[in-house]
Amino acid sequence: MNDINQTKKTLIIGIGNYGRADDALGWKFIDEFSYRDDLYDFEYRYQLQIEDAELVSKYEKVIFADASHQPMEEGFSFYNCVPAPTSAFTTHQLNPETVLWLAQELFYVYPRGFIMAIEGTHWELHQGLSDLAEENFKKAIAFFKDYSKKLTAPPRSAKAIL
Amino acid sequence: MKKKITIDPVTRVEGHGRVTIHLDEYGKVEDSFFHIVEFRGFERFIQGHPYWEAPVLVQRLCGICPVSHHLAAAKAIDQLVGIDPEDLTPAAFKLRKLMHYGQIFQSHALHFFYLASPDLLFGMDAPVEKRNVFAVAVENKELARKGILMRKFGQEIIQAIAGKKIHGVAAVPGGMHKTFDPKEREYFLNGKDIPNIKTMIEWSQEIIGFIKGYHEKNRVLLDTFAAFPSGHLGMVDDVGNLELYHGKLRAIDSIGNITLPDVSTNDYQKYFLEGVERWSYMKFPYLKEIGREKGWNRVGPLARMNICNAIPTPLAEKERQAFVAFTGKKVNNSTLYSHWARLIEILHCAEVMNELLHDDDILSNDLVREGKPRLEGIGIIEAPRGTLTHHYQVDEKGMITRCNLIVSTTHNNEAMNQAVKWVANNVISQKGAITDGMLNQVEVAIRAYDPCLSCATQALGQMPLKLELYNHSGELIDERYKSN
Repeated sequence: MNDINQTKKTLIIGIGNYGRADDALGWKFIDEFSYRDDLYDFEYRYQLQIEDAELVSKYEKVIFADASHQPMEEGFSFYNCVPAPTSAFTTHQLNPETVLWLAQELFYVYPRGFIMAIEGTHWELHQGLSDLAEENFKKAIAFFKDYSKKLTAPPRSAKAIL
Repeated sequence: MKKKITIDPVTRVEGHGRVTIHLDEYGKVEDSFFHIVEFRGFERFIQGHPYWEAPVLVQRLCGICPVSHHLAAAKAIDQLVGIDPEDLTPAAFKLRKLMHYGQIFQSHALHFFYLASPDLLFGMDAPVEKRNVFAVAVENKELARKGILMRKFGQEIIQAIAGKKIHGVAAVPGGMHKTFDPKEREYFLNGKDIPNIKTMIEWSQEIIGFIKGYHEKNRVLLDTFAAFPSGHLGMVDDVGNLELYHGKLRAIDSIGNITLPDVSTNDYQKYFLEGVERWSYMKFPYLKEIGREKGWNRVGPLARMNICNAIPTPLAEKERQAFVAFTGKKVNNSTLYSHWARLIEILHCAEVMNELLHDDDILSNDLVREGKPRLEGIGIIEAPRGTLTHHYQVDEKGMITRCNLIVSTTHNNEAMNQAVKWVANNVISQKGAITDGMLNQVEVAIRAYDPCLSCATQALGQMPLKLELYNHSGELIDERYKSN
């Protein structure tokens, strides 16, 4: 029930589930940055849905934080999210690209999107990260803390990192 | 050569179902089945839990209608603490009702705009890449945008009362734990932050205008597609009008004869039995007195339009009258009229929410009543998809010893099987090549019931689509597959 006048310019959406081992990475990511509520709004999601297009339409920038099955050299990856329609079989589980695309199509806004993907390896019913995910999580946090600092600095710094 | 066609699973429904159609050597349909193939078993594993956990646990049955399970369980748990629905405080009763109508509003919006509208806008034979809400977003932006905002409105009503849009907690034994805040009420009324309740009413009327036009243009198809006689079951108030939170159970047969005469929800066991089939995890409820073969009933919006005398809000009642007049005031047994009926209910829900949002009782802090504990509680409500029953028994320590759930989609099990048979016999039988459009018609027939297969069997719900053709010896001779 956010008032548009009260929202920050950047929204971080954590996608995941504490009860599914490394799938908690997306949620833990926003837990870690919850103290920066001066900069960000936060949303926890099990999965992205169509109505999230309306939510992201209120922001200039959206960061989607999620666990990834893909092996990554650095253990995480932070990259541009390019809006694109995807033909998913279910409308209950959209990817970030589709959410941004729907925001453009339906609400005529163009929020910049980024994906923070953190590599995980375990997805069973379990609370707590695997050792590898924990290590990757720390790297992603360190990177993003640096990125956040640069966000509050003059624009050139933030641009340089992307 | 005999063949068997399998659609596995059916798409744009909640949960995992499979259809098999058996053809003889001439391509004529011999039989067809709508199988529900996964099982979760909440009825069993809730046993041993304390009764007060039930409304929280059971809403995990579903991510679309958790409020329905929460409130049906809450009504049952109220009885365990000695509180019947009429004993609730006005605030608790109205807050539950507001949440319930918000839930039906958002669930119906999801079904119509996200799941059903592609079939109506682009046709059942449209290319598969057009049969989804993304195509609606491209070609009918206004419709898609309104669908999203209507669903959001209902979800935010739920969030305001339960703290979360999905799996929040609102009801406690004997009442509610939180009242409505004046600022929250203003949020839904003033239209500053989101389109307000009056806009929801206007948009509901607009979309009914759309479906009426669609019926005018496609009357023959809509009258005949998956049309078959059946009973209809739902809830009515003391004067026989539509009621979705608490009332009496009424059923009629396919021509309007009363088969269940406004009985107390507490007596449901006297009237219903559940059949089982070896090919489905979903049971087949039916009226005991009529028997398994003819005693089954449709539930949900179409059934509710058929059984009620009137709708107790003026705009929706006007639309109901237009709806029944369209088919000569006869009982409507045509599956695809479910969409029109669902949209009339959307309007009704918006009108009820409007009344409740203007009622100061929802701001009261008088929220909980206490009574004399009992060992058995029954809660029945009209969920978006139809009549939903929760029944619990507890021991002296308040631990649940028995749980029986009859979920709306379960009542529609036989109707969905009949709908599949209709399409198999009228669209697929002896037609030679089987096209993607034909298969989609099977799904269109099922989809009209807005089944929640996860609720009905508590399945986890992976939904790739698989089609298999078998010969009379059971050998696979052709296969199609749509993955996620």
